[in-house]
Amino acid sequence: MPGDAAGGRVRRRAFLGGAAALGAGAAIDRVAGPREQAASAQSATTAPSRPIAFEGVHQAGILTPSPRHAIFAAFDSIAPGRADLAAALQALSERARRLTRGYDALLGAPGEGPTPDSGILGPKAVPDDLTVTIAFGASLFDDRYGLAARKPRHLKPMTTFPDDALVAEECHGDVMVQLCANGEQTLLNALRDLMRATRGALAGRWKIEGFLPQPRESGSPRNLLGFKDGTANPATADAAEMDRVVWVAGDGGEPAWAVGGTYQVVRIIRNRVEFWDRVARSEQELMIGRDKGTGAPLGKRREHDDPDYRTDPKGDRIPMDAHIRLARPRTPETEQSRILRRGFNYSRGLDMSGQLDMGLVFCCFQTDVERQFEAVQKRLAGEPLVDYVVPTGGGYFFAPPGARDSEDWVGSGLLA
Amino acid sequence: MLRRLAPGAAVLLAVALAGCGGGSQKKAENPPAQPYSKRSTAPGVVARVTPADYRRPIADYRRYVRRRLGTLGAQVGVLRAAIARDDLSGARAAWMRADATYESIGAAYGAFGDLDAAVNGRPDGLPGGVHSQDFTGLHRVELALWERRSTHDAARPAADLARAVARMRAKMATLEIDPLEYSLRAHEILEDGIHLQLSGQASPWSGSALVALRAEVDGTRVVLDTLTPLISRRDASNALPQARRALRRLSTALTQLERGDGTLPRWDALSQRDRELVDGLAAGAAEQLAYVPELIDPRPARPAQRPFGESG
Repeated sequence: MPGDAAGGRVRRRAFLGGAAALGAGAAIDRVAGPREQAASAQSATTAPSRPIAFEGVHQAGILTPSPRHAIFAAFDSIAPGRADLAAALQALSERARRLTRGYDALLGAPGEGPTPDSGILGPKAVPDDLTVTIAFGASLFDDRYGLAARKPRHLKPMTTFPDDALVAEECHGDVMVQLCANGEQTLLNALRDLMRATRGALAGRWKIEGFLPQPRESGSPRNLLGFKDGTANPATADAAEMDRVVWVAGDGGEPAWAVGGTYQVVRIIRNRVEFWDRVARSEQELMIGRDKGTGAPLGKRREHDDPDYRTDPKGDRIPMDAHIRLARPRTPETEQSRILRRGFNYSRGLDMSGQLDMGLVFCCFQTDVERQFEAVQKRLAGEPLVDYVVPTGGGYFFAPPGARDSEDWVGSGLLA
Repeated sequence: MLRRLAPGAAVLLAVALAGCGGGSQKKAENPPAQPYSKRSTAPGVVARVTPADYRRPIADYRRYVRRRLGTLGAQVGVLRAAIARDDLSGARAAWMRADATYESIGAAYGAFGDLDAAVNGRPDGLPGGVHSQDFTGLHRVELALWERRSTHDAARPAADLARAVARMRAKMATLEIDPLEYSLRAHEILEDGIHLQLSGQASPWSGSALVALRAEVDGTRVVLDTLTPLISRRDASNALPQARRALRRLSTALTQLERGDGTLPRWDALSQRDRELVDGLAAGAAEQLAYVPELIDPRPARPAQRPFGESG
């Protein structure tokens, strides 16, 4: 389609030059609900070329089963005005739609200007379970774009907790883009594409890459402390539970555009792995509350066994300050603070003391950060594990509902 | 220093990748969301640019460089005088002006060859780094004036610098600027600014990246001005006006960072938000400028090749 091609290039230029109008992208299939999204993700695992729909009531990449790799990239808007910001967000969705579906790459040829696609996936880019999840930080709702009155009710800058050692350059951000896929190169292709399409409007603030272990064992993947992590997560297939835990509803005083969205917490939590490795297994298990081999709660046999705190009221089996017990005491009062975790491990070089910089990119979704994530965080304050884990960055974000159809884009309800 | 892949490298890469497999653009199920326009230099529409078309632009640019080198010579004289009277802050101010002047003639660097390294060389790539005997020129003086806070240490490299600038001025009479290289500089001066200045690598001691970037933006505009008659006739997708708009946004942002006395703050003293703004606008301008050189490619048309992504 040479005619379309010419028009498309001009459109991209027009955006980069600051003009707003971006045409609609490719025709797209359907509106997928969360169940369908999860289902398509499942089947994508066996048939890797099946895309995970970008469109849906909710954004993909939230209930979608975690693939092997992720990038969390925070951006700040340098768009001069609201229309430019809207154009940038529209471009994000248009590019994300193409990236997640898979496409025939335009790798460039003599006389055609800068290479249109990075080409790092070759001429045929397959979906590879790619999801692009877009979220907004509280700073986007300052006085720059007149969005203050439309701020999601519970959105605020990330709290600094007593055990944190935050690095300012790796905190917060106007826009969070979470990319997940099976292959790292798929993610890097997507990141380069999305950044290029929004150059001059979204400036990179910080980024971190995460991964999960090769699925070799059953059950939850292991974190870099060597323990199974994520066992107590609520079931994503339980729609009613997801409505309680994850999705913002219309009855909570939230602005209408936010309904169907969710609050995202991202935390870069460094693990002091050398120190941790110098601790006896039994001590580690008492700090975590699980068996290191099986992942079962201490004194239980299997990973998903109930820790059964009622029979252990004094913490003889699972100490009262064990991580899993503080995080989720399983009392009626604390069950309303459950969160949907979707973290990835990270590793990135050495620090000045020669120690490895690795740990967890903690990520969780919820309907109310204070009632859920922060309540958990407060219970965890001062736990024995804090000597081995150091939160160094991250932010609070709000992931709006998904793009409704092929014309829609994530954030349209906020900015259109 | 401007560096670039050999001009044919992108094409070679494309050919190499083409062997990887058979995407077919014609049969694409998904209309491309970021396709490119048909080339604006299509034969029969506007004639291709030839090397002869560059005579006038390059002659104009050479006159500009000659004037700037005259200015640079005078500024280096002021620098040496300040050093001689042990006036550290005067020497620093003079250095800033001289460095900015040199950054404003980025399209001539390649033509100066080794002389460019004598004026603008950096310790990277030298065995021994800053201690190397071959580390000389503006940045050696910078090291003395900022890191070592020593006019004494600056005296000899400043004298070397003055000699190198004098040799440059003498060389102007015979300086040859290659048309292809000149066309690429329209885009790449700013790439250089992003890569070397905004990374903090070029002027780590003085922190003068913003001053240098401002000079590079000005220098880019000079190149674009000389090339405008060639570009405009072939610029169906308005690459040039958009590049100029992006440069204006960047310039405006730099102006807004100026302090009361008109000087720019150290690059490493900027807030994260301000740094992101400059980084983002510079990258945005580079994205636009990247379309320019190909419009005025002075090389003969290449024989038709299989477009990339189409299998034969």
